[in-house]
Amino acid sequence: MSALTFTLKNPPAQRIDCAALTADKLVDKSVDEIAALTLVVGNQKVRVDELFDISGTDIAKICFENSTDKLDHIGHGMSTGSITVNGDAGAYLGQFMTHGEIAVNGNTGIYTACEMKGGQIKVDGNAGDFVGGARIGYKNGMTGGTVIITGNSGERTGDHMRRGMILIEGNAGNYCGSRMVSGTIAVLGQVGQHLGYAMKRGTLLLTQAPQHGLSANFNDCGSHTLAFLPLMIASFKKLDSQFATLEPFSRVQRYAGDISGIGMGEILVKI
Amino acid sequence: MIINGVTIDATFAEAFPMRGTRVIITAQNLEWAMNSATAFTGFATSVIACGCEASIERTLEPHETPDGRPGVACLIFAMGGKGLAKQVETRAGQCVLTSPTSALFSGLEMDQEGKEIPLGKNLRFFGDGYQISKMIDGKRYWRIPVMDGEFLTQENTGMRASVGGGNFLILAESQPQALAACEAAIREMKKIPNVIMPFPGGVVRSGSKVGSKYKALNASTNDAFCPTLKGQTKTELSPEVESVMEIVIDGLTEDDINKAMRVGIQAACELGAENGIKRISAGNYGGKLGPFHFHLQEIMA
Repeated sequence: MSALTFTLKNPPAQRIDCAALTADKLVDKSVDEIAALTLVVGNQKVRVDELFDISGTDIAKICFENSTDKLDHIGHGMSTGSITVNGDAGAYLGQFMTHGEIAVNGNTGIYTACEMKGGQIKVDGNAGDFVGGARIGYKNGMTGGTVIITGNSGERTGDHMRRGMILIEGNAGNYCGSRMVSGTIAVLGQVGQHLGYAMKRGTLLLTQAPQHGLSANFNDCGSHTLAFLPLMIASFKKLDSQFATLEPFSRVQRYAGDISGIGMGEILVKI
Repeated sequence: MIINGVTIDATFAEAFPMRGTRVIITAQNLEWAMNSATAFTGFATSVIACGCEASIERTLEPHETPDGRPGVACLIFAMGGKGLAKQVETRAGQCVLTSPTSALFSGLEMDQEGKEIPLGKNLRFFGDGYQISKMIDGKRYWRIPVMDGEFLTQENTGMRASVGGGNFLILAESQPQALAACEAAIREMKKIPNVIMPFPGGVVRSGSKVGSKYKALNASTNDAFCPTLKGQTKTELSPEVESVMEIVIDGLTEDDINKAMRVGIQAACELGAENGIKRISAGNYGGKLGPFHFHLQEIMA
């Protein structure tokens, strides 16, 4: 069986909600039934086959071709299978997903991995703001799984993040780790201003010193050899990412904060 | 059955079900991992009064341990899951958490039944709120701040239904000869994975029988095998036997104990009658106490 492929016919003028196109929701549906499904486009409902050319049948492997940044909610709540997006993806990629894999060969919009619970998302490009964040007004962002961004991430990466791992090979924007509750964000590149703003717990792991320095709300705890780091870096080995080639290290400078709150978070900078 | 002049009795060792787990203790170097492991497995020869039976299984090279440091694998067994959990927790808390540079990991995946017991799960409270949890590869670890840096421990370890009390007796013409045979046996048995011989040096000289003339005791000296009582009791010993020693084996599976008994008895028999080794026997209670029976002649067949 070849991958169920949705090839976008024309660049859409309005945003398309692709939440219905996951293995969970397409199970036991024939290609004709899938073609007859309607997606919300702007303020209208439009049949899938009016928007996409459909080929292939394997719902466990879904593929979006010619994708643009207007395709929202790809992989919404998925619990199985894989989705490959060739082109950009819109907002809320992988929201609520629990298992499975999403790979994007392009950039993603805001709220990538929003409230994600498990599985893996890999963005071979840049991601927008609020990677792994919580919806507006909600208190828990991502609670599990792994997000890999090969490019840069936008602002407020890991906002309200609770568990799981966000790995950024490029740079992270301002307010990285803001309001973070727990979990791990690792950045190979640079980070923006206000690193760890209002961070409660969790770990921000940097391989280079932050260019803007740290805010006064983080206190230096000195340099240390931390035993969990080699273990964690070893777990990256199986990832298809630059992190897999990261030389294991355990020496870091540890900063604790944000001390304007409970101050249990940490920024670890490789030394 | 006679091997190299040594009679193998037509009897069996009787063993009973236990719960067991393996933990891995690592440290800056093997010496300090061993210091911690020795303490962790201390006073753990017999469940009768120690609450558990534990011993060092083997040392581990850096590439064999989770954190890439030298380590020691310890096996620990108790009569039930609750008892095991309590022993692991108190021993980990007093003997590993306290030991400089140590880290503590599970050495046993959880079985199909998914049974786990806490390893560092409750030790984390020693961190007084400064403890940090990390999920790595689906397993939870705790980082507990301590005075030498940070104590890293896995949250849980797998628990297995295991077998305890496998044993055999070496009957010899003198005490030094009995001990030499035991030493030879232990040397070989230590090469077998998944088993421990929990007594000091692996050998016990005070084998017990069930019951006693004193009401308060439920076990007492195995008079039938005491050489000084040959003329006083219904003895099992022939006139030339002057010393008997026992090797007790706990293992993760029946098969592991089988293998360990086989190589142990083989090693003792290799010394043979010329070195004063007369007989190999085993301790049992008529088959009433334990469901596992290790028939010596079948093992050596």
